[in-house]
Amino acid sequence: MSIDTLQPATAPAAPPLPAKRAGAKFSKLDTVTKLVIALVVGILLLLIGYPLIRILTQSFSPEGRDTLGQILTSATNRGVLLNTVALGLVVGAVGTCIGFAFAYAQARLEFRGKRILHLIALLPIVSPPFAVATAVISLFGRSGLISNKLLGLDYNIYGLTGLTVVLGLSFFPVAYMNLLGMLRSLDPAMDEAASNLGASKWKIFRSVTIPMLIPGFASCFLLLFVEAIADLANPLVIGGDFTVLSTRAYIAITGEYNVAGGAAYSLVLLLPGLLVFLVQRYWAERKSVVSVTGKPSGRVNLISSPLGRIPLLTIVLLIAALIVTIYVTVFIGAFTKILGVNNSFTLANYQYVLAGIGSDAMFTTTILALIATPIAGVLGMILAWLIVRKVKRGRGVLDFMGMLGLAVPGTVLGIGYALAFNKPFIIGNIQLLPALAGGGAILGGAMAIVMVYVIRSMPSGQRSGVAALQQIDPAIDEASTSLGASGITTFRTITLPLIRPALLSGLTYAFARAMTTLSPIIFITTPQTKIMTSQILSEVDAGRFGNAFAYCTILIVIVLSVIGLMNLLVRDPRPKTRTR
Amino acid sequence: MKRKIALSFAVVASASLALTGCVVDTSPKAAAAGGELSGNLTVACGAMEDWCQAMTEAFTEKTGVKTSFVRLSSGETVARLNAGKDSPEFDVWHGGPADGYGAAKKAGLLEQYESPNASVIPDKYKDAEGYWAGVYVGALGFCSNKAGLEKLGVGVPTSWNDILDNKLKGQVSTAHPSTSGTAFTTLWTQVTLNNGNEDAGLDYMRKMHNNVLQYSKSGTAPGQTAGRGEVAVGLVFSHDCVKYKEAGMTDLQVSFPKEGTGYEVGGVGVVKNSKNPAAAKAYVDWALTAEAQDLGPTVGSYQILTNPDAKHDDRMVDLDEVKLVDYDFTLAAAEKSKLTKRFDAEIAPQPKE
Repeated sequence: MSIDTLQPATAPAAPPLPAKRAGAKFSKLDTVTKLVIALVVGILLLLIGYPLIRILTQSFSPEGRDTLGQILTSATNRGVLLNTVALGLVVGAVGTCIGFAFAYAQARLEFRGKRILHLIALLPIVSPPFAVATAVISLFGRSGLISNKLLGLDYNIYGLTGLTVVLGLSFFPVAYMNLLGMLRSLDPAMDEAASNLGASKWKIFRSVTIPMLIPGFASCFLLLFVEAIADLANPLVIGGDFTVLSTRAYIAITGEYNVAGGAAYSLVLLLPGLLVFLVQRYWAERKSVVSVTGKPSGRVNLISSPLGRIPLLTIVLLIAALIVTIYVTVFIGAFTKILGVNNSFTLANYQYVLAGIGSDAMFTTTILALIATPIAGVLGMILAWLIVRKVKRGRGVLDFMGMLGLAVPGTVLGIGYALAFNKPFIIGNIQLLPALAGGGAILGGAMAIVMVYVIRSMPSGQRSGVAALQQIDPAIDEASTSLGASGITTFRTITLPLIRPALLSGLTYAFARAMTTLSPIIFITTPQTKIMTSQILSEVDAGRFGNAFAYCTILIVIVLSVIGLMNLLVRDPRPKTRTR
Repeated sequence: MKRKIALSFAVVASASLALTGCVVDTSPKAAAAGGELSGNLTVACGAMEDWCQAMTEAFTEKTGVKTSFVRLSSGETVARLNAGKDSPEFDVWHGGPADGYGAAKKAGLLEQYESPNASVIPDKYKDAEGYWAGVYVGALGFCSNKAGLEKLGVGVPTSWNDILDNKLKGQVSTAHPSTSGTAFTTLWTQVTLNNGNEDAGLDYMRKMHNNVLQYSKSGTAPGQTAGRGEVAVGLVFSHDCVKYKEAGMTDLQVSFPKEGTGYEVGGVGVVKNSKNPAAAKAYVDWALTAEAQDLGPTVGSYQILTNPDAKHDDRMVDLDEVKLVDYDFTLAAAEKSKLTKRFDAEIAPQPKE
């Protein structure tokens, strides 16, 4: 694939956005920056553009057109479409609210045990497919340990309720991390100014804090919306009758042998994502929320009055308790034969995973994810920097392209990769790329898996990077540039340190995401690359829930250890300067 | 940080250099024509992980061909075979339902190969044109939770009518016929029991709808739902029910409808354009032998075996005791899309009475 042939389709399509400070915001591009832009666009086209084009063109084949035609005409499909949008809205709203509650408590309330609460809030970042959903079913399902055995209820958790609980809990940590980063970098001087003018804490919260966070809310909502509608494993496990587009596309491909139909559903799936994306951009761009100005700032006054603390803390602690219960369930489940059915204690599950067939998958998955993580993290930050600071025309397109890896259902991405990379890429007689995916590819197909990990896990870093950069006054960049620094030097020495928290959250999320990616992997695993998530799937299929839970527990331990290490490596070198 | 970025650029740059400009090697690996088998073999395996592993290891041991597998559902297999049509990554497809093999045959993804060993396999368990042959048969059954049935005061179901009992309201779990081959087997079985009358078949599904808690996406999920005691009866292939029982869901019990039940056939076939066709054909020959099929029960797969000489295990369905309907796979496949659309429109959205 060549960049030249594809670029015209993307570049001119960008409507110049009504950026108020356009003149001041975008400095003239130097050569290095132009090269970076070309490189990033090239990487994006390779990782997502080309595979998507390969698969989505299928939706315009006769079979695909047939499906497209029925999406609005058939009542069943209209229902599926409505379900999808409803799920995205509900999960987006619920997840953002939970994330904000945790972030605000963490940043602004005074209470003991902040560190523990922080860790609990980060725990769901690592939610291996099936683990949370299966634990929720075991706890709150029709014969659940809590709902039925303890409370005697006959509650049907399958459907939108169960999905909202599971997806809301699984995805809110991104919102939490983004909003926490933003809350911490808000200039306390504004609070002080408001306070000096006689405003109450509540008034400051409403008229200072919240408006400053609006781009953060918008970006979290968008991310959660897109993640929720593209998620596949949870709707399959706990969705019950509630069919959404991602499951519909999966069914078309795996149940009806209709790849074109699956592609058509996915094409439609991109539309709500695109819509929310446009609305969010328009809305967030209208407000200037620059708060990191480089000028000295004071310190935050923590809220200690019971009136302000108790309601929020109660909610936060209840949710924290729920998260702990779910993860303890997974942990205990790994020591039982089948949790809730046969609770006898056993170590056989761990033996199977650590010493048996499973250890192979454990190492392969971890190594591939470790390779993908820094690439995804750095790529996400560079992309965010280009979008917010450098590229004027076409940045909307660039932003959307970066997000595509998340917005497309994994199944479709996986088949796109199989279509695009199973064969060497040859133009004329020159081989531009060898086969990257599948059993016949170089490195046993590991390359394609890393590529999928990168494109799947980059968007969260990109979003947190965009949100963080929008808070930083471009004047800081300009100061650097006018002192003679090139674009890339400015990025490295000025911007990057300022967005370090965002980079860290991007890296953390990227690793967790890579380790838990399932649906695209199914289409590109090979005998040489056994992946933990697909092993979990086959254990669940075989009814060996103990093994599945053991895999999940070990996966969680690996991810948490690596995240801990990353926190040490990419630590903020100026800790607590603001809360001194 | 400076070094880190420089490093990552260096990695990207060198990687792209390394990947470009290679010489294109299009010469197919010469397959050993007759005589000794050699090389590698990759199997797309549609059965349980343990079974795939036992099969490939045994074949490697027997022939010296290094055999490996990827476990995939049938839809995933067809999609992957289709994506890599010209240079397939698999040589053999083993396990997985016949309708998948039908789809692959139609899409030109399978090689016609009539194994000499296929002659002992009954005709109804293999493709008439030799694109695939059956290695196992699974019969649709009721997977009941004994404790759940007791609580409701209902006996173990032995007839399709038992499932319609008012006491079982919200206590039946089945997959959705458009998403699961298992559930479509249920639907087509009803059509067959009504002498091919599709309206009557759908009518049964409509009556059953009142008792169904929810239609799951996956065909095996109802067995797990019943195993956890969330419903009293799940409709699954009986070997799945036995499997969950062995895994620890000890309250489960298998039973069959006396009117007759539907079944699936699991196949094996050679992938078209395989890079090692000699070994692939040898694998198919071997998979049809009693020796290979006997591996199933040793690793917890209790499907009925198609080779008449294969050993019978007590946990398998005894075909003398269970009545199978005369299942027309070709007609079922032809009618599937129309029937599932009708199910979607006429039954699934109906309120439960």
